[in-house]
Amino acid sequence: MRDVTLSALERLDAGAAEAEAFQMDEEAFRLFYDRTARPVWAYLTRMTGDPRLADDLLQETYYRFLRARVSHDGDAHRRNYLFRIAANLVRDMRRRPRADATAIEDVSSAADTPDPRAGDVAAAAERRVDLSRAMTRLKPRERDLLWLAYAQGSSHGEIAETLGLKASSIKMLLFRARRRLAALLREVDR
Amino acid sequence: MTECPREGDAFEAVAFGRWPAHVTRELLAHVAGCPICRDVVDVAAPLQDERRRLMRAADPPGAGVVWWRATIRARAEAARTAMQPITMWQAIAATSIGTVALALIAASWRSGAANLLGADLLARFTIARGDAAAFAGFGADHAFIIVAGVVACLVLAPVALYLALPDE
Repeated sequence: MRDVTLSALERLDAGAAEAEAFQMDEEAFRLFYDRTARPVWAYLTRMTGDPRLADDLLQETYYRFLRARVSHDGDAHRRNYLFRIAANLVRDMRRRPRADATAIEDVSSAADTPDPRAGDVAAAAERRVDLSRAMTRLKPRERDLLWLAYAQGSSHGEIAETLGLKASSIKMLLFRARRRLAALLREVDR
Repeated sequence: MTECPREGDAFEAVAFGRWPAHVTRELLAHVAGCPICRDVVDVAAPLQDERRRLMRAADPPGAGVVWWRATIRARAEAARTAMQPITMWQAIAATSIGTVALALIAASWRSGAANLLGADLLARFTIARGDAAAFAGFGADHAFIIVAGVVACLVLAPVALYLALPDE
């Protein structure tokens, strides 16, 4: 009985410490994580080109998210804030290249699960290589913009919030980035 | 022109897998003739394929593992923060002790009579108390010791602070 009481007190103490240190409790975190981990991992893998590095950055992203003293208006805001942390980590990582880094954007070996919707596996693989090659020729910010807009389906406001840019500038930046990638993809096709 | 009112329709068709087989002829015709919507489709289609592939391949650690690691790290950081003031006081104490020790070693090296030094200093200082001239003479006689003490402080203090402060 005493053990049980002590254990409960310890748990209470640990729970209080975590509640103080983190912005949400474990149950809320689990729900949020289950909804967001895969898209964040996909983004990190696409932007770093290294699934192992993406794993590390994923952990760091959620740690910083939990430690942040930020009040969120809702789930969308919380999610944008999470992606903002991830985008900042990717930007920091680009500034200090690792000695063992694999080629950025070359994620063709990272996850070679064929896409049943793509039909022809070989054609899908070819398109993937084309996309990787074209993406490497874009600026990092252009890659971020295009991924958020056309892979994630984020609105201009969400993109601005995630990348820390003015909402009014997103339209033009996105237009330029899109035109550039489309031209590069056509060039690769030829 | 940087935008088209139909680009949202074109993107949705791609994102929901309707492009090109399950869209209206009107939208197909529009995209064929609109450079903006054509770019949207050309860019969105491979990016959507890539996202779907990565989402299928994604194998992130479980929420429990991420939470547990975050908890461990938060506790380690809290412990390090709590230890910091203690370490600082320890560093200051170590610096003081080191300074005194160095000063004594320097004095003994100078006079060659370490066993008499303490008594000699005490006696002269006691006699000279209240006598500014004698005190000044004491300072001049032991300038080397004072300088050695100051130098030791200047050298040891940064080293001790470097060791005391956390890496970050």
